[in-house]
Amino acid sequence: MGRLLTIILCIALLTVHIISLRKITEQEKLIPKGEDTAYVMPSPILRVTALEFHGLASDFLFLKALVFLGGTYERKENPRVKPWEWKWLYHVLDASASLDPYFLDPYYFGNANLTWDGGLIKETNELLEKGSSYRTWDFMLPFYIGFNSFYFLDDNDTASKFLMEAARRPGASAIYADLATKLAYKDRRTENAITFQEYILEHTDDPKLRTEYETRLTALRGVLYLEKAVVSYKQRFGVYPRSLEDLMKKHIIDALPQEPYGGSYYIDSSGKVTTTSESKLMPYERLNLSPSSEPSSLMKD
Amino acid sequence: MNTLWPVALITFKEGIRNRALYGITLLALLFFIANFLISGMFMQEVGKVAIDIALSAVSLSGLLLVLFVGINLMAKDLDKKTIYMVLSRPISRSQYILGKFLGMALLIITTMVFLSVCAALSIQLIKMVYPNYFPRFSWPMILLALSFNTLSMILLSALAFFFASFTSTSFITLVLTVIVYIIGQSLSDVKALVDAPQTVGIHVSAATVKLVQLAYYLFPNLSVFNLKIQAAHSLFLPASYILWTVTYGLIYTALAITGAAIIFRLREFP
Repeated sequence: MGRLLTIILCIALLTVHIISLRKITEQEKLIPKGEDTAYVMPSPILRVTALEFHGLASDFLFLKALVFLGGTYERKENPRVKPWEWKWLYHVLDASASLDPYFLDPYYFGNANLTWDGGLIKETNELLEKGSSYRTWDFMLPFYIGFNSFYFLDDNDTASKFLMEAARRPGASAIYADLATKLAYKDRRTENAITFQEYILEHTDDPKLRTEYETRLTALRGVLYLEKAVVSYKQRFGVYPRSLEDLMKKHIIDALPQEPYGGSYYIDSSGKVTTTSESKLMPYERLNLSPSSEPSSLMKD
Repeated sequence: MNTLWPVALITFKEGIRNRALYGITLLALLFFIANFLISGMFMQEVGKVAIDIALSAVSLSGLLLVLFVGINLMAKDLDKKTIYMVLSRPISRSQYILGKFLGMALLIITTMVFLSVCAALSIQLIKMVYPNYFPRFSWPMILLALSFNTLSMILLSALAFFFASFTSTSFITLVLTVIVYIIGQSLSDVKALVDAPQTVGIHVSAATVKLVQLAYYLFPNLSVFNLKIQAAHSLFLPASYILWTVTYGLIYTALAITGAAIIFRLREFP
């Protein structure tokens, strides 16, 4: 009798245990998480509390950032990651990099995500500069700073400076120095962007990032192709085409290139070739800050 | 030496028979297995993470060894009053302390060598699975980090002996040793913070600066023995650093043990 009672008790307890754990897992996702939970301990304190395990703590913080961003892909809301969450992510990566400033992953991951999606260009460049000053053997970090300065900040001087720095480091491609000088030609923006993106793709292993970069490269190549067609239209007829259809009517091109994001290319009010998916080519922040892009994006859709 | 050796040997044997040692070793082995799972999650520097985890596991086990096996070895004789039997033999109190310490150092070295071999095995296996993610890798640096770790554990154990020489129970020795370990690991960072407070925008009074400077000379600076990050990225380390750190470690250990012997000699047993 006593034994039977014990077994029943154990089964009952285990069942309730499993049910309660499942409920908690469900409910925990529903709890609103405010910005105050986004606090990251300042790095001097982290360094002291990590005792002799700086490297391990750095790995742990990086994993935390990785798991967080991975989890956001399940979300359905828009924007997928809130602005303060990007800031938090940046602080976590920064803390990870402070604990072990030689660790490549926070810089690499930060550069891949905080720029295009997060729009935290200046912060990312600061993070990368820190990494670049420690990892003196690594040419990729100054190269990334160069790209970010050129592409997002329109700061060709800084871009050129860091590309030259990248070119000086061991194992760097000779093209970096070449690219640094090419940046002087501002009107070759798309071409330079493609060259940059090709080198970034070459140094990326992550399949998810690779697909993203390849699609972006295809879009940029489409823009370049059309830009060239617009130039030859201007040379032949003395005026700029009013729409891309003009290019086909006058047989400058046979067909419009496929837009990889599912949108379409068009000529905006300032005469620039762009795409309805411009946000994929430009980070969120830049789109909002730049006054010229607003009317054009309104005009088409 | 003839009187030291039997004490050292018996201490070593007693330590090896301690059940806690198997628990600690098992924990380290679990860490080495977990290393496979964890380091595989990283995007770029798998090698760095693998070395981090392996070396941290060895460090943590060494620390547990000193805190839970080492302190017991010294305190058991006092707690169980078996010390009277030892002291009635033709052996001086200083010889007794020194012999005990040698046995403990032997135990630390033996355990650390075993754990280091396991750690190296774990790193090597991960390296075989992800050969392309070990861009900067050097066995000599890993070996150096492990040796320095062993030295710092011997130093900490010497301090535990020092505390045990005047405290009445092993628990107080444990607490004091843990406190010294924490202070020792953060001393460098705190000193750097106090020396240049403007970098983080805090104000530090002159008295605090003096206090930290005093603490810097009094407590062992354990973080100088921590070469995990240098090993993980195989960073350059000048030979003079190695020389001076080893000197510092040995001298501090000698000071602590001498202090322990002096106090133990003066101590009266009820």
